[in-house]
Amino acid sequence: MNTAAAHVADHHNVKDYQSDLKPIWCPGCGDFGVVSAIYRALAAIDRPPHEIAFVSGIGCSSRIPGYTTAYGFNSVHGRALPIAQGIKLANPELLVLVAGGDGDGFSIGGGHVPHAVRRNVDLTYIVMDNQIYGLTKGQLSPTSPRGLHTVSSSYGSLEDPVNPLLYVLSYGAGFVAQGTPADMNGLVAIIEAGIRFPGFAFINVQSPCVTFGEPEAQLKVHKATMKSLDSGGHDSTDRLHAMALAQEYGTQLYTGVFYRDPNPRPTYNDLVHERQAELGPMARPKDKILEMFVPE
Amino acid sequence: MKSDLIIGMAGSGGDGIVSAGESLITAAALEGYHAILTKSFGSQIRGGESSCRLRISAGEVFNPGGTLDVAVALNWEDFLKFGAELPVDGHTVVIYDSKTGITADKIPLTGVTPADVQAVPIGDLAKQTAGTDKAKNTVVLGLLAGWFGLARDGIIAGMRKKFAKKSPEVLEGNERAFAAGIAYAEAHPLHTARVMPPAAHNGKRLLTDGNEMCAAAAIVAGCEFFGGYPITPSTEIMQFLNRELWKYGGTVLQAEDEIAGVGAAVGASFAGKKALTATSGPGMSLKTEMLGLASIAELPLVCINVQRGGPSTGIPTKSEQSDLFQAIFSSHGDTIRPVLAPISVADAFHITVEAFNIAERYQTPVIVLSDQEIGQRKETVDPIDVHSIQPAERRRPAGKELEHYERFRLTESGISPISAPGMLGGNYLASGIEHNEHGAPTASGEVHAQMNDKRLRKLTPLKSRRDLFIIEGDADAPVGLISWGSVAGVAREALQLARAEGLQVKLLIPKLLYPVSEEIYQDFFASVLAGLVVEQSHQGQLYRVIRMHVDVPAGVKPLARSGSNPIVATAVAARLRNLAFELQRRRAPELQPRE
Repeated sequence: MNTAAAHVADHHNVKDYQSDLKPIWCPGCGDFGVVSAIYRALAAIDRPPHEIAFVSGIGCSSRIPGYTTAYGFNSVHGRALPIAQGIKLANPELLVLVAGGDGDGFSIGGGHVPHAVRRNVDLTYIVMDNQIYGLTKGQLSPTSPRGLHTVSSSYGSLEDPVNPLLYVLSYGAGFVAQGTPADMNGLVAIIEAGIRFPGFAFINVQSPCVTFGEPEAQLKVHKATMKSLDSGGHDSTDRLHAMALAQEYGTQLYTGVFYRDPNPRPTYNDLVHERQAELGPMARPKDKILEMFVPE
Repeated sequence: MKSDLIIGMAGSGGDGIVSAGESLITAAALEGYHAILTKSFGSQIRGGESSCRLRISAGEVFNPGGTLDVAVALNWEDFLKFGAELPVDGHTVVIYDSKTGITADKIPLTGVTPADVQAVPIGDLAKQTAGTDKAKNTVVLGLLAGWFGLARDGIIAGMRKKFAKKSPEVLEGNERAFAAGIAYAEAHPLHTARVMPPAAHNGKRLLTDGNEMCAAAAIVAGCEFFGGYPITPSTEIMQFLNRELWKYGGTVLQAEDEIAGVGAAVGASFAGKKALTATSGPGMSLKTEMLGLASIAELPLVCINVQRGGPSTGIPTKSEQSDLFQAIFSSHGDTIRPVLAPISVADAFHITVEAFNIAERYQTPVIVLSDQEIGQRKETVDPIDVHSIQPAERRRPAGKELEHYERFRLTESGISPISAPGMLGGNYLASGIEHNEHGAPTASGEVHAQMNDKRLRKLTPLKSRRDLFIIEGDADAPVGLISWGSVAGVAREALQLARAEGLQVKLLIPKLLYPVSEEIYQDFFASVLAGLVVEQSHQGQLYRVIRMHVDVPAGVKPLARSGSNPIVATAVAARLRNLAFELQRRRAPELQPRE
């Protein structure tokens, strides 16, 4: 391959992961912090961008793959996880990231989450949770609190929110963390840890919507109220305690790792690889495959 | 002497009537006959009534046939449940279990006097010889072998193989039951003997169904990823690949739903692998958004729809050709997806390979419209030269193209080189959102129009693929017949029947249904004054699609029936005869001497 322009650098820094596209996000959007944290985490991991596939659905936050230099796939609403699993199974060598909003992940795409978790394909799924639909201008989201008044809930929401943390913990995710751009170092650390975790990793980021979000969900408030799980003494290998803390979703903003499986299960992609290796020798030559239809 | 024999058998679930049909078609294939076996079941998951139809011929067979030459009823209640699927007329030999207590002159077939009625103590013979009712189906095989000269050695060989794992007593019992059937037939000759002519041995013939053929073809074409969800009548495709694809380095994902199944396939294609999904109508409804995504992201993908009765759940176990509109039109936006349809089990192989080749070459989703009949019928297939097949590969960027890579570069053909993650310099953003040549999102009307044009333009060469059409009959015939999918096999036989009567008729079978090749239809219609578009849908969907694109002669009408209403060759031939006569009448005044 003639690669005069394209070459692999010895070491990748933050700039190597930044694309030329200008984000469409509103000034002050939490997602700026998230994409910066992703650049930093990727630079720390130092994989060349062409070995990374970054998949998203639809929503403000789902624009994020385009702002990186990775191979991106800005797909359709709610379907990032199935597409990402197909990518990872087709080429397990790739580092596969998935991102989207709370609507993408826990409303329209909610049915895919438990299966991605139980299948345990080695993906890192980052949800930018802002409790509102921003791209469509301010409707109720699956994580909006009960009673919230929005343009689609003029008299107040009549339903309880989804608890993303408890949701993935109860399906058995091996890595569950939460962060906020109000704590950039912490956010970078959990994204990096999630990527390094061998298996499905879930990271909920409280990423405020400056335009349609509630005043109490803004970064300033995060800064004042967030509690670090680590410094609070939480043992991240204690799944039951993690679930107890996760119950406080919506009332207390915990940051850090809720749960990290100390003995990670084998990943689906590894098992697939093993099966292929085991069955490969049994293959008939392709030009003889129809012979299995010769009656005896 | 007829060169073929159509046998229909029905019984209750435990009678093993379908298993008898399987034994018979295997034996027939081994002896070099051509044959088609279709099975039909009641809606119960286990038990209930079951039936099969087997057509065996010394020559080529195109369809499961119409009226039965031989009808076997283990009990009448079950037989009658299959109604039009097992039609009996005055030439049929009816065989039934005398234990039903019904005398030969009182059989419950209203308005028909069959040529021959044989009340046979089938159950008693089974008990006497094998000690069990379960051997009833073996007695039936003996009767058929005895009366019609069918594949005696093949059946015995099959029985030995089938019962090898069971005790020797079971095998011996069945051998005695088979011999008893033959002996009974020999002792009670039919009024008119009908013995199959010997098969012209033609080397090893394959025996399989359309679903397994599609799956095997996918492997040959280079498929390395399957994502899907169980749904009747397509599930056997996933099941076959689940057994085989891993061996070729591939992956089979039974996903949580139809959307995730096709979504994973889209992802695998993005990652550079040839990918397949398969489903039936209700699943297609769910997969539609992903097909639109694959169209705009220009990702190769093959989607097989084994059609069944619809809309919604419809009739899951019966064949229909009513998903053509859906295949063509169901994505929003201005898009074209190639739609292909096989006409037989053998063709399921070629069409599936073709679908992969088109998908890869043109970077597009391709829909294969199979149907329940082709998908699930067993059929003998002449050997296919797999060695000569050259799978197409997508056009990869190389050299200078990777220096300033533009994934969606506007080329003359509309096809732009496609990279895959892992390829240095090929990094790009795939998206469902409209994008420019680099892949960056855009709302520009100018770019949108250019990209639409690119995505449609690249498929234009398909319209010149004359090899994806079959044209048979008299080139200048005034009567034309068009048909597709499994029903095309009926049309082929109807054409033969009509031409045997001296009628001038021709037949066009499109295997490429979309985009519509205007020129090929126009050429065909040039000599046509009257004709039929024969298809298994209520509206006549192909007829209407052709009319959208081509000036169809006014005398060409749809012959369209909802699924589960068999279309048979003799009925189509009768319609052709009427059309030909009508043309003669219409022309008559022109031929009169002028005053």
